[in-house]
Formats: sequence, structure tokens, C-alpha cells
Amino acid sequence: MSCSKSVVLSCAGIGSRLGLGLTKALLKINGRSLISLQLEQFSEVEDLRIVVGFQAKSIIEEVLSIRKDVTFIFNHLYFETKTGASFYLGAKDARDEIIEWDGDLLVHPDDVKTILNTEGEFICYSDITSDGAVFCKTDENGNVLAFSRENGDYEWTGPACIKKEHLTYSSNNVYNIFERVLPMKGMKIRAYDIDTYNDYKRVSEIIKNW
Amino acid sequence: MKFLFDLDGTITSQETLPVIARLGNLSDKIDQLTRETIQGNVPFIESFIQRVNILKDIPVSLISDSLSRIPLYREVCDFIDNHRENCVVVTGNLSCWCEGLFAKIGCKNFSSEALVENDAVVKLKSILRKETIVELYQAQGEKVVFVGDGNNDLEAMRLADISIAAGLTHNPANSLFSITDYMVFNETALCRVLNQLC
Ligand SMILES: [Mg+2]
Repeated sequence: MSCSKSVVLSCAGIGSRLGLGLTKALLKINGRSLISLQLEQFSEVEDLRIVVGFQAKSIIEEVLSIRKDVTFIFNHLYFETKTGASFYLGAKDARDEIIEWDGDLLVHPDDVKTILNTEGEFICYSDITSDGAVFCKTDENGNVLAFSRENGDYEWTGPACIKKEHLTYSSNNVYNIFERVLPMKGMKIRAYDIDTYNDYKRVSEIIKNW
Repeated sequence: MKFLFDLDGTITSQETLPVIARLGNLSDKIDQLTRETIQGNVPFIESFIQRVNILKDIPVSLISDSLSRIPLYREVCDFIDNHRENCVVVTGNLSCWCEGLFAKIGCKNFSSEALVENDAVVKLKSILRKETIVELYQAQGEKVVFVGDGNNDLEAMRLADISIAAGLTHNPANSLFSITDYMVFNETALCRVLNQLC
């Protein structure tokens, strides 16, 4: 347990674009649930906070089979709000520096270590792979200058770290919260989010080589 | 900021009711009533009145003495010790049964009241509705945190500024899943959240 930051894992959503009627956290990837793969990567995180909503009970059960000292935070308005609201709820009473982590994101284990050991605020991005991505515009040193729906140098994937004094509420996406604090240090990582069935198949193949 | 705690299963690591029932060899009757209550067949207040009626002849001093030896969650008690002025125990249990236990926990408390004569309960005087204690502190301008695990904590937790469902002794009641802000399953996580809220 060496990471002194809080990590907020947002797992409240209904995963509508995946269309499997199952919350993404419980999606089986090569035989293991997505959230169990993430929990394994967070073993050095002391203050692990998991935001739940849709199928909360099933997620909690799965988490408790692995680890008991987690704080669960309920986003009861998970149907009306997006990851911004979940992150805010998970972060508002957390430690001074908070890492946001989408529940549908898988990050290469080496990059996870780097992220958990990096000091201060930052935003992580990846090479562009998804359809309908949100992009990061960066300067020559890789700092994030803006988010864009149209174009950019990299794909915004998160995770990202914010100081509590910079935290504000958004019912929209989590990047809308970070947008208010730009420019911010950027870090390129290998991360893949699972939004569609194609993403799911692709990620299942990719992580076989991790 | 005030921290209000349910007693049974939240501060004590064992439920007190079965312990009291055993003292009077009344476990079967109490277990049956508990089952009916949990299934929702008997409303909470009615269940409480029936419970006291079943247990009323057991010497009050014997109950208080036994409950004072019931195991407590150490880290939760340490938090209460360190924030004694701002911690409050809120329990539906009878004050006469819990005197020894309250003394050991050491902070302010609210409970139900009964008239005691010759070391036995003769009459129920008041039944605590936990939500009224939340209102009491909110009316004083305090922000209220409520930690509970049962159906009888539901309204207090709904009303509290911040609610924490604690699954330390048993899983939180199903009803709490639709209103709670936080949910934790061990002392370490509970105390971490409490300290973050301070
Ligand atoms: Mg209780």
C-alpha cells in the first residue's frame, strides 16, 4: 500500500452502448470480470473508492470477494448523469489528490504503476483508436491544452489526477471537470476503454499479451 | 459536524438482542419475532413493543451487566474516543438495558425509555425514532453524518446530510441501498471515511 492518493473508480453506468444488459464491471474478459482485473492493479492503493449505481449489489459482491476495505459511493442518479457526477461524488470527501478512473478502462500494468507513482495533477491519453473519441490537444511537451470532439493529437482515455481544491461538479463527462483546470501535465499511456462490442473483442485480444 | 451511530452491529460486533434473549431462555421467541420483522411482516415499532414485552421480566441489572461485556469494534470506539464531543449513539434499545454499554462507549446517547421497578421493566415510556435525533441536531445548525445498518436506520439515514451504510456485522439492510451515500464493509474503511469527513 504505497499510493497516497485516492482512486475513484466509476462503475455506476448502465453500459448502454455495449448492449449486453450487464454492467461493464462484471463483463468477463478472458474469463475474469473487468473489475477484478482492475482491482488487481490497485493493490497498492489504500483509499480505493468505487462509485456504484446500476447493479450496485452485484458489483459490491464481486469486489468483496477480492477485497473488503473499499469505500463504495452511490450515484443514485446514474441514469440521468454521466461520469462527471460519479467522479465528483467519489472525490468530494476523498484525499487531497484524487485519481479518476473509468470503470470501463483497462490500462497496461506498467503504465498503471507509473500513474500511481506520479506526483501532482496530470491527464493521461493514448494513441487514437476509438470511433467517436474525445481528443486531447497538446503542446510540444505533451501538456494538455484542450479537449475536443473534432480533432486532436491523442485520444482522451483517462486516468487523470486532480487536486481537491480544483474539483467542481459536472453532471456531464469527467473531462468537463478537468477542462476547467487546463493546461495540465499530460502522460501518454497504453489504455483501452470498452464502449462497444468491437472494443470488447479487441481488448480481450490485446490484454493476452500483457 | 455530528456523527450519529447506530449501536447494534455498528459499534457492537455482536447483536445485543440475542444476548438478552439467552439470559431469559427466550431465544426461540425472539428469533421468530426477528425473522418476521426482517421479512416485513411485523412493522418495526410493533416488533419493538412485542420484544420488550417478551424480555421484560429478565432482571434489568443482569442485562445491563451482560451488555457491558459485549465485544465492541475497537477502531470505531477509538474514533468515538477521539471525537467524543461530536459523537452520539442513537439506539432503539432501552436505556436501562444499555447503561453499562453506554458507560463503556463514553459519548452522548439517545435511546428508548422504560419504567423500571424491582429490577424489571414494567412499562415502555418512549420509543426512539432515530430520525428525530437527526432533526434535533440539524435544527442546531449541525451537519449530520449517520452510520447505520438496519431497516430502523432508514429514515434517519435518508434525512442525514451524509449517510454511511456499514456492513460490519451483517450486510446492510436492502432498503439502505437506495438511499445511502456511502457503504463500507469493514472497520478500516468505515474509520477512513469518518476521518475524511472530519
Ligand atoms: Mg444495527
